Amino acid sequence: MEDLFPTELKTRLEQIGEADIVVGIPSYNNARTIGHVVRAVSVGLAKYFPARRSVIVNSDGGSKDNTKEVVLEAEGGADDLLLVSHPVQASQRISTPYHGLPGKGSAFRTIFAVAKRLNAKACVVVDSDLRSITPGWIELLAQPVLEYEYDYIAPYYHRHKYDGTITNGIIYPMTRTLYGKSVRQPIGGEFGFSGKLAARYLEKDVWDTDVARFGIDIWMTVTAIAEGFRVGQAYLGAKIHDAKDPGADLTSMFRQVVGSFFSLMESYDIVWKNVHSCQPVPLFGFPFEVGVEPLTVNTDRMIHAAQQGVNDLREIYSAFLAPQTLVDLTNFVHRNGQGFHIPDPLWVRMIYEAAVAYRHRLLDRDHLLQSLVPLYLGRTASFVLEVTESTAPQVEERIETLCRVFETEKPYLAQQWDAAGKEHLHAQPV
Amino acid sequence: MRSLFDRMFVDPFHHLADQSAHVVPVLVIVFVTLIVGGFVAFVSRWLTHRLLQLARFDHLVQRTGFAGMIERSGVFRSPSDLGARFVQALVWLLTVLFALNAADTPASVNLVRRFVDYIPNLIAAGLVLLLGVVVSRMVARSALLAAVNAQWPAARLIAGGVRVLVMTLAVVIALEQLQIGSVPLLVAFAIVFAGIIFALAIAFGLGARDMARQWIEAKVRSSVAEEEVFRHL
Repeated sequence: MEDLFPTELKTRLEQIGEADIVVGIPSYNNARTIGHVVRAVSVGLAKYFPARRSVIVNSDGGSKDNTKEVVLEAEGGADDLLLVSHPVQASQRISTPYHGLPGKGSAFRTIFAVAKRLNAKACVVVDSDLRSITPGWIELLAQPVLEYEYDYIAPYYHRHKYDGTITNGIIYPMTRTLYGKSVRQPIGGEFGFSGKLAARYLEKDVWDTDVARFGIDIWMTVTAIAEGFRVGQAYLGAKIHDAKDPGADLTSMFRQVVGSFFSLMESYDIVWKNVHSCQPVPLFGFPFEVGVEPLTVNTDRMIHAAQQGVNDLREIYSAFLAPQTLVDLTNFVHRNGQGFHIPDPLWVRMIYEAAVAYRHRLLDRDHLLQSLVPLYLGRTASFVLEVTESTAPQVEERIETLCRVFETEKPYLAQQWDAAGKEHLHAQPV
Repeated sequence: MRSLFDRMFVDPFHHLADQSAHVVPVLVIVFVTLIVGGFVAFVSRWLTHRLLQLARFDHLVQRTGFAGMIERSGVFRSPSDLGARFVQALVWLLTVLFALNAADTPASVNLVRRFVDYIPNLIAAGLVLLLGVVVSRMVARSALLAAVNAQWPAARLIAGGVRVLVMTLAVVIALEQLQIGSVPLLVAFAIVFAGIIFALAIAFGLGARDMARQWIEAKVRSSVAEEEVFRHL
């Protein structure tokens, strides 16, 4: 683990000794936005945890835009505020490069290692491109860990109805169906967790996989749930990012997140096969209505992507989709305009059949995941067309309906998961 | 003194009889070898087919994606059939070599020796071709997926082109291993390939100049638009 620390960081950690709270901020060329995040975190620590020793760790991927300088020089904390109780110790700041594959997961690994080295009781991670972060987020993410012995706190935001479509269409319904915990934003990006859980994460040998990249969020959530850690949620209001997300190429992002999820299904299949109901997860904070930024979505482009995918990738789809699923997909996808629709049962079957194919390596895993992107875009377009006139609560109800379909079809997944090992029952040869 | 009749008819007949006494047993051996070899080859094919079916070979090959290719070829009924026929051909080849060796003529012995020397080249060429099939398939599929996800209209054409390119390289390397002149083929391929690319570039750049501009503008606009407004996670 010590190899993760450059000499400068080792020295700094020796000087600090121990800390109660470590707040990690992964970054890569985020000089434009990270200052605001550091200020919000500093104020949050000073305001809500004045008696705690705290450290802010910026784990950087080699930024060339002075991100490090912005982090270290950002104002904030006790000196700028009128506080009722003044902090015993001002929070320390560290900006360090991380080792390993370039990606958010590798940045988190360094943060976990720092938390372990400082024997931190609680650790919080927040994205560096947040525009809606407030000091209260730090309290909401750290307090349940420090005061109520929770091990993992996932965020709970209000988001635009078109936002977070991988979350709403795949990851949330599947996490809830498979692991029985209704964590609404399992890949939210902001998390609070205990020092014990950070140490557990470090024990895992996953740092040369997609977990080192965008797969980290779902990996953290599923690991915490599947290994029986105490999980909660914190209501953070609205989540607004910086508009530009460096390196956010949809195909790689989708591949990393969904691939990590399918991989976790293999690791924890004994766990999810024995889950038969969904439990609500406690929510900290006071939910309130917030305005979210309007989004426009080009559904024509997404529909075209889905139609092209079904036309050009038929050979690949026939390798892992059941014949009837492929027939239904073809029929639904080739309806144009408002008639375009991918119904829930079809979508759920496609995802389950892809998960089974991933497990049994019915085709190259990377190819399998890439081939799902046009289907995902088609499903997203279908969802957008369906909820165009819907209010936020109606959209939540719509996602709830999708979750119930995932739950209803779970026996099909379990059956295929085991059956395909002996004989792949439904697929046609390529 | 021997008569003219003896010299003209009897002596050649004796000479022929002597030669036949030497050659006929050899021919019989060759003939019997071919008959027995043919029978063994047939039995080997049947046995191999049965064994492969028992080992669920067809099912295993289906997962690799070769089964479809084999079936589409129209020559073999199934992967087991291909394996069985391969074994039959191998036994036939060994039989012919054995028969040629048994003939024990300078020409046949030389032919066998040259063939045996050539076997490593045949194996190497076969492996190169097999690798070419696997790699071309993988690379073509990667290209197809990348092109489809980039929403390029000619995705299948691109994938097909990539496949042909990789297979051509494999064939050229295989021919090199077989010591058959591959340079003319490589040059011909390069000329044709470069010609096609050049023709397409001219056609797209000049013939469809407006379409090219609109397409590039649309690509740039849509990728920027998606980056700016849409969050998937």
